[in-house]
Amino acid sequence: MANFIPTGDGGHSGWRASVQKVGGNLAGMVIPNIGAFIAWGLLTALFIPTGWLPNEQLSEMVGPMIINLLPILIGYTGGRLVHGQRGAVIGSIATVGVIVGTSIPMFLGAMLIGPLAAWILKKIDAVLDPVTPTGFEMLIGNFSLGISGMLMAILGYLGIGPAVNAVSDVLGNGVKVLVDTGFLPLASILIEPAKILFLNNAINFGVLAPIGAVEAEETGKSIMFMLESNPGPGLGLLVAFWLAGPKILRGSAPGAIVIHFLGGIHEIYFPYVLLKPIVVLAAIAGGATGVATFAATGVGLVATPSPGSIFAYMTMTPPGNHFGVLLGIALSAAVSFVVAFFILKATRSGEDAADLDAAKAKSAEMKSGTAN
Amino acid sequence: MATVSGASVKNIVVACEAGMGSSVMVAKQLAKQLKAQGVAVTHSPVNQLAETPHDLVLCHRGLGSRAKQAVPGSVVIMFDMFLGDLRIAEVVARIQSGDDISDD
Repeated sequence: MANFIPTGDGGHSGWRASVQKVGGNLAGMVIPNIGAFIAWGLLTALFIPTGWLPNEQLSEMVGPMIINLLPILIGYTGGRLVHGQRGAVIGSIATVGVIVGTSIPMFLGAMLIGPLAAWILKKIDAVLDPVTPTGFEMLIGNFSLGISGMLMAILGYLGIGPAVNAVSDVLGNGVKVLVDTGFLPLASILIEPAKILFLNNAINFGVLAPIGAVEAEETGKSIMFMLESNPGPGLGLLVAFWLAGPKILRGSAPGAIVIHFLGGIHEIYFPYVLLKPIVVLAAIAGGATGVATFAATGVGLVATPSPGSIFAYMTMTPPGNHFGVLLGIALSAAVSFVVAFFILKATRSGEDAADLDAAKAKSAEMKSGTAN
Repeated sequence: MATVSGASVKNIVVACEAGMGSSVMVAKQLAKQLKAQGVAVTHSPVNQLAETPHDLVLCHRGLGSRAKQAVPGSVVIMFDMFLGDLRIAEVVARIQSGDDISDD
């Protein structure tokens, strides 16, 4: 199979596995809590003054949810990943210190201090557990967590909160410059290839969503949520593979289109691109087109759409933004389709037959039981 | 390289990045195909494979090295396509026939 797959060799560990791992941990703190993000996003879309059903009382929940609930959930989950329930508890305590130390949604701070606090507690437990006398487990366990939790909250309040606040300011200003100068579409040059390497969650939840949340808290929406999650480029690619791809890939493309565009599982199109890496150019072109359209029409989403399905997109679009959002998705799909279609047509010569032969040989191998 | 007998596979875990998206989809497909053999198919984030009981791990090739790191002693089958993958079809056939399954 190795000769059949030009990239994406999983047999060795390298920088990609390391980056994936770090990103996976970041995403692992956010993804289990997406339901809470959606609840907050829906409340925002419905009840803020510019929403569908403006309501002063109900919109009071919007602020506490993004400022308190979401970062604490992230800190809780981050702590749990490192040190189980005790890690989750200390992660939550420490996150409160970070939250109170600043005035912006502290996703990045929570991602840092939640696991850090849990890791420190793990080390403390490793020292205390062996020397704890019988019958004192609960006393020592509760107070070691309580005392170290208090210290971590203070550290978060005095140290990590302000530091992350400064970093967020720099990131936010950097993004603002990119948007104002029209360079934001260039982000697709990095984002689209990284997606194909399964860094999609790392980028979206580890980097873009925290920046977007700060902007969304101030203005009610952010374009940051749309840079990675736009289902348009993948849709264009899959349609191109369906109509002009190698024959063995065509059969599965329609099913993949449904799963990708409606179901929002973007991973399903990555293998097609891994089989024809040059097609990533189409994804970049489509992605950049989408971002440029979103920026030009001034649209954003109220929260991160997860999964990146057209339904999640429509739900998270604030009033008056639907035209720009749909236009961006449609244009990005069209551009990525056209580029991918021509790349596939141009690089076809004879490869179809080779692919088919390889596939036939492979299935023959399997039938005879020699494949390993 | 690790090997497991197809007949002894009762517990398959499909891993992906978050353990909530593509792995669930593949696991659902596999569970249907292996219902008659009484094989349980679950899903997990690749980082938490070690805590998930399994006889056999399936994950996309792009996450393969991390899966191997997480559970070095397990059979980790890497697939390339989320729909209609030949390796997955092979694993299903070998579990049904009870033949040995080994990874790359």
